[in-house]
Amino acid sequence: MFRDITVSCAPHISERFSTRTVMIDVVIGLVPAMIAAGYYFRIRAAVLISACVVSAVATEWLCNAVRKKPNSLGDFSAVVTGIILALSVPPGLPVWAAIIGSVFAIAVGKMVFGGLGANIFNPAMVGRAFLTASFGMLMTTWTVPATIDSSMPVISAENKIDARTQATPLAWSKEAVKTKQGAKIVNDQLKAVFKGEVGGCLGETSALALLVGAAYLFIRRTINPHIPLAVIASASAFAGIMYLINRDAYILPLCHICSGGLLLGAFFIATDPVTAPLTKKGMWIFGIGVGTITMLIRIVGEYPEGVMFSVLLMNAVTPLIDRFCKLVPAGGKPSV
Amino acid sequence: MEVSTKGKSSFPGGTHPPQSKELTREGEIRPGPASTQVAVMLSQHTGAVCQPIVKKGDEVQAGQKVGDSDAFVSAPVHSPVNGKVKEIALQSHSVLGRSPAVIIEADTENNPPKQPVFNKFTSGFNEEKYSVEQICAAVREAGIVGMGGAGFPTRVKIEPNPRLPKETLIINGCECEPYITCDYRIMLEWTEQIIAGIKLARKASACSQVFIGIEDNKPRAIKVMSEALRETGNDDIKVVPVRTKYPQGGERQLIKAILNKNVPTGGIPPMIGVVVLNVATVAAIAEAVVYGQPLTHRVVTVTGEAIANPGNYYAAIGTAVGELIEFCGGITQKAAKVVLGGPMMGIAVADLTTPITKTAGAITVLTKEQIGRAKFVRRQTACIRCGRCIEVCPENLNPTRIAHAVKNNFLDAAESYYLSACIECGCCSYVCPANIEITGYIKTGKRLLARQKEKIPE
Repeated sequence: MFRDITVSCAPHISERFSTRTVMIDVVIGLVPAMIAAGYYFRIRAAVLISACVVSAVATEWLCNAVRKKPNSLGDFSAVVTGIILALSVPPGLPVWAAIIGSVFAIAVGKMVFGGLGANIFNPAMVGRAFLTASFGMLMTTWTVPATIDSSMPVISAENKIDARTQATPLAWSKEAVKTKQGAKIVNDQLKAVFKGEVGGCLGETSALALLVGAAYLFIRRTINPHIPLAVIASASAFAGIMYLINRDAYILPLCHICSGGLLLGAFFIATDPVTAPLTKKGMWIFGIGVGTITMLIRIVGEYPEGVMFSVLLMNAVTPLIDRFCKLVPAGGKPSV
Repeated sequence: MEVSTKGKSSFPGGTHPPQSKELTREGEIRPGPASTQVAVMLSQHTGAVCQPIVKKGDEVQAGQKVGDSDAFVSAPVHSPVNGKVKEIALQSHSVLGRSPAVIIEADTENNPPKQPVFNKFTSGFNEEKYSVEQICAAVREAGIVGMGGAGFPTRVKIEPNPRLPKETLIINGCECEPYITCDYRIMLEWTEQIIAGIKLARKASACSQVFIGIEDNKPRAIKVMSEALRETGNDDIKVVPVRTKYPQGGERQLIKAILNKNVPTGGIPPMIGVVVLNVATVAAIAEAVVYGQPLTHRVVTVTGEAIANPGNYYAAIGTAVGELIEFCGGITQKAAKVVLGGPMMGIAVADLTTPITKTAGAITVLTKEQIGRAKFVRRQTACIRCGRCIEVCPENLNPTRIAHAVKNNFLDAAESYYLSACIECGCCSYVCPANIEITGYIKTGKRLLARQKEKIPE
């Protein structure tokens, strides 16, 4: 009567939940940011996102084929990498450059380590770092959002009206740090920064859209709040202290949080489980590290933006953090 | 006075698997099958394996001792039926693989089914006429072991021990495993017997306070127990509703929920003055002490979506799993797995002649659908380090690290992540999105470690 029964170790049931579910949730969480990108940068958004996703997926397929490994596209992680990379490049980036970044992200950022779960660095950030190093000019040319009337004066260096490109709030903030004045110009733009009506990377401009996506991830419990909270809290604290020291040179902490890649980084990049620590304590150290290094680069360093470098640096120390933050069993350490 | 049935306290971690208790929750305890043959395992407990004290061809009576051991940590086994010893042979054992058993052919004519004794207990039960020595001796002779699953000999637990004095007795009525309802039915139907057993256990262990922990998904059991205690004037025994969360019924988790104390890692509850007994165990204590009946029958929940007539049965220990399934109408759909116990910690059996033991609370027959596709095809993907296993671990361990250390044969590394502290509840495997058999690796690691230690000469 029981010809077909199987045996295996307990438990015999499992939650209906898989790696694919996690990744699809992240994609859904990124949808508001993609919509915002489409709204502000129109056809550029669609072109860049699809180019990055298609090339990421194709690269992963090719790597598996070369290594004679089973196809791993079903986990959707290549799609996530493609989208995040696309959202973190300038809207005006040529498609060929985006494709190069995407191929590098998957091939060198992930597949050479052995695929999903084995990579040390966040693949999308590896791809972006490669693009920054190779095509510095292209990676710092910012297009004005399509919704801004080009005849309106917008924040740009020397307040020149420039129809094609403009400085980002962070570039302006950098200028303020150097000249010790003009932080107010950025602070006045807070509303535009929150909505995303400023120059910047494709998916990073709209804080609102990113927060909506993050709320979805929290509701679905796809990410836990430790890393985002640590990043935002430490960045705010750093920016807040600087702001209190000199209000003309340093912009509002809220402006720092809403501009650049900080929110995308806090909710979608630093939370990549593969490259972040395992334990709660480790996650807080990691998040504080990301937030602090980002602000150090933004305020003290030479670059206007630092999320990418801070995430990559903290990725590198993740194994160390994990070793440092070993869990103690509920009953204490055994007394042997 | 209205009894509050809402649980407040619990333990950190844990999961919420689907309960699936509605299949058998309303099923009264009914007599089990009249077996023509039973196989009484000589090892049904933690500790030394019993030696058979009958020979092939011997006539045995129901309740007669058929195996015993001189070891301190052990419990004798008894025949549940009148009959003749057919042979002493190896039988499939759910945990040990193959293990010796006394196989008894039942006398088909002279075998009245054993009746439970719950209706003989009244609310006026007084434990004063039984001495501590009498209680301990009766518990030992009846072969009572922890019936919740671990099977630790109960005498060893309740006996006075000057080195580890006990002060708190916790009665475990949580039954956190999905599907199982045998303890729930016992609490509803055998209430007076349980209270009598609690009084006896309290006297033997000299505990000053007693708590009964029941998960708040069983409000009726909480009400019935509290009301019975109030009516009999036993207000010093307190029913504590605890939150419904798996594995709330683990003794370490229950102690944490009720007393907010942690049992030391690698230690046992008496180290912090606590003894935990399952409700079925205390019912068996009452039966053994008052009526001298050995533990030969227990309530078994036969359940699962693939069973025709799921229910709770008072079955002879030694009945084959397949016989109980047939007795319940056999299977209706395509059964994929037969599990001795519940789906979280139970052991899948391949051989349906495997007899049930003192610790078997349930037989769960799962369908492919219940198991889920991922678990059924057993395709594991790479760990994405999401940390869900850490979040749910009730012992605050790092399951993924232990599992991967074992997988790569680094037992030292596994030990450095406290491999031995794992209670094998299965929460980590249950939540793992990569479908990694984390608990399976940990169990393997424990076996490998034990084998390694055996090889090292003292």
